[in-house]
Amino acid sequence: MPESSAVSDKNTPIGIAVLPARLGRFVIDWISGVGRANVFLVMCLSRLFFMPFPFREFIKQINFVGVRTLLVLLIAGLFTGMVVALQFYDTLVRFGSVDLLGSAVALSLIRELGPVMAALMVIARVGSATCAEIGIMRNEQQFDALECMAIDVYRYLMLPRLLAAIIALPMLTALFDLVGIGGGYVVGVLIHGESAGAYVNGLIDTVTLNDVMMGVIKSLVFGVIIMWTALYKGFNVHLNQKLSGAEGVSHATTSAVVLSAIVMLSFDFIIGSLML
Amino acid sequence: MDIIKSSFKHYERLHLNGEIDLHNSSVLRETLLSILNAEQHVLVDFSELQYIDSSGIAALVESFNVAKKQSLEFKILGACGSPLQVLELTRLVSVFPMVDSETCL
Amino acid sequence: MSTINKTDTPAKTVIETAGMDAHYGERQVLHDINLSVGEGEIMVIMGGSGSGKSTLLKHLLGLQRPSAGSIELLGQDICGLSRKQMLALRRNMGVAFQGGALLSSMTVGDNVKLPLRENTKLDENTISIMARLKLELMNLAGFEDLMPSELSGGMLKRAGLARAVIMDPKVLFFDEPSAGLDPVTSVELDELILQLRAALNMTMVIVTHELESAFKIADRITVLFDGKIAAIGTVEEIKQSSDERIQNLIKRKPRDKSVDADAYLQRLTAGGRK
Repeated sequence: MPESSAVSDKNTPIGIAVLPARLGRFVIDWISGVGRANVFLVMCLSRLFFMPFPFREFIKQINFVGVRTLLVLLIAGLFTGMVVALQFYDTLVRFGSVDLLGSAVALSLIRELGPVMAALMVIARVGSATCAEIGIMRNEQQFDALECMAIDVYRYLMLPRLLAAIIALPMLTALFDLVGIGGGYVVGVLIHGESAGAYVNGLIDTVTLNDVMMGVIKSLVFGVIIMWTALYKGFNVHLNQKLSGAEGVSHATTSAVVLSAIVMLSFDFIIGSLML
Repeated sequence: MDIIKSSFKHYERLHLNGEIDLHNSSVLRETLLSILNAEQHVLVDFSELQYIDSSGIAALVESFNVAKKQSLEFKILGACGSPLQVLELTRLVSVFPMVDSETCL
Repeated sequence: MSTINKTDTPAKTVIETAGMDAHYGERQVLHDINLSVGEGEIMVIMGGSGSGKSTLLKHLLGLQRPSAGSIELLGQDICGLSRKQMLALRRNMGVAFQGGALLSSMTVGDNVKLPLRENTKLDENTISIMARLKLELMNLAGFEDLMPSELSGGMLKRAGLARAVIMDPKVLFFDEPSAGLDPVTSVELDELILQLRAALNMTMVIVTHELESAFKIADRITVLFDGKIAAIGTVEEIKQSSDERIQNLIKRKPRDKSVDADAYLQRLTAGGRK
């Protein structure tokens, strides 16, 4: 047996080969994970025109993703708008450009804060809950049962959730923006006594279709990212051989939340740079 | 599976030939309901029935209930073999009036 | 004990595996599995933990593909079927999972009705009566409108079984039916299994480790050890098997725990601080 061999009998790397082998394994696992995730997404979306359309589940999910997130989202929107206005006011006053307050608040919300904050709210409420629910279903063999009943899991469960996120998130973002701009009005006009006309006209003049489109595109993309990550992580909770049961679900859920937040923020940058 | 209708005394007699399962139980159901709709008494002949599944049994239960509400007679004739075992398993032998042969009617 | 229906014509083979292997990644978990189950037969699959019986069940259900060999269900090779064909085949299969595997978002009744609503065009009245018939059979009358979270473990199992048999499948698969059931319910379940087979000529594959149940209801038993078939035979044949491992399993003999003093001491104290 050659002594300088970096691999022992059973193909286990030893000595100098350990680190590259581990790195290699990590990269391979990561790439195949990304591949599997993409296959998962395609499987879900390909069911769009399969009959019968899971209408009931779809409506249930829109209620869960959209309606139930609404209250906490609007409160967050109000405070975000107020804070943005507060910060901008302080700076703009020094330059004597307080008239720009309306457009500053509106542009920040519509282009950036609206999509991102709404997405974060949805990640926290919907992403975590969905991942946990799907993960528990996997652990209780509910997916095996569905498959054995000849029910297509992607059509019946996954697609409605994905579609609900795609539809709800732009609407939530829009409402967030509205309430935020209103909050900015409260701070700028009602509290600091600046001109209401300047606030409103400022924002009407400067906000363009491109800005709104940016917000919409971002929220659509974010919706896909959030729900896709939550579903995928939950669905594959059984593949983690080190953690099982409740621990596995908890790990998958935190992992889904963190991952969707990071991916969401990177796409925020990508879309912003492409459209600005 | 064939369903042959005939008349026997004051009953409309349904002769069930072969097997009743998911594919044809709706035919049985519609036939039974239409007979009852026409205010006729029902005699379901099981003597040539080889197999009946839960959907067929459900059709019988539903029609029997309708018959009861309309005070029409509903009897099962000549149940044997597998169909009889199913009726026993589901404890419906105590629900349906069962008759062994024509002479009992 | 039950007897196989002896007729002049040989019973149809409902399930047949030939040379089946299974791997989890690199690790081989099943070796050269050859078994066949005839129509109306109750086949019990037994083996210690880690023997591969759950894996075997997953492969028979078509949830996992074997790495070698073939599996035939109702005359069709399940590895070669298209999705549509597999769907059609699955209508003739019922599976009762450990713990029931009911969908937590709908009532017990809706769960039992699910296969009918998704796979048949029967009207609601018929579906409702069919569901109630099966629930009555399982002594779950009146539990239709409860959610799965409101049921005990034993009730969940029975509800899962009701759902498994709702379409009167030709083949019924059972994963650990008696696990977690009290003795009385367990006996009732055994009776029910025999009645279902008698009335509907259902073929059954039962994975279990409960010896009493197995000996009472099985026509034949397959014993697995370390992913290999140790024996297939009738209850009597298995009881009289000359294989030591099988005898140990039957007599519930604990594994040999003889002690090598030095090795034992080493295991107990390894890595300790001085």
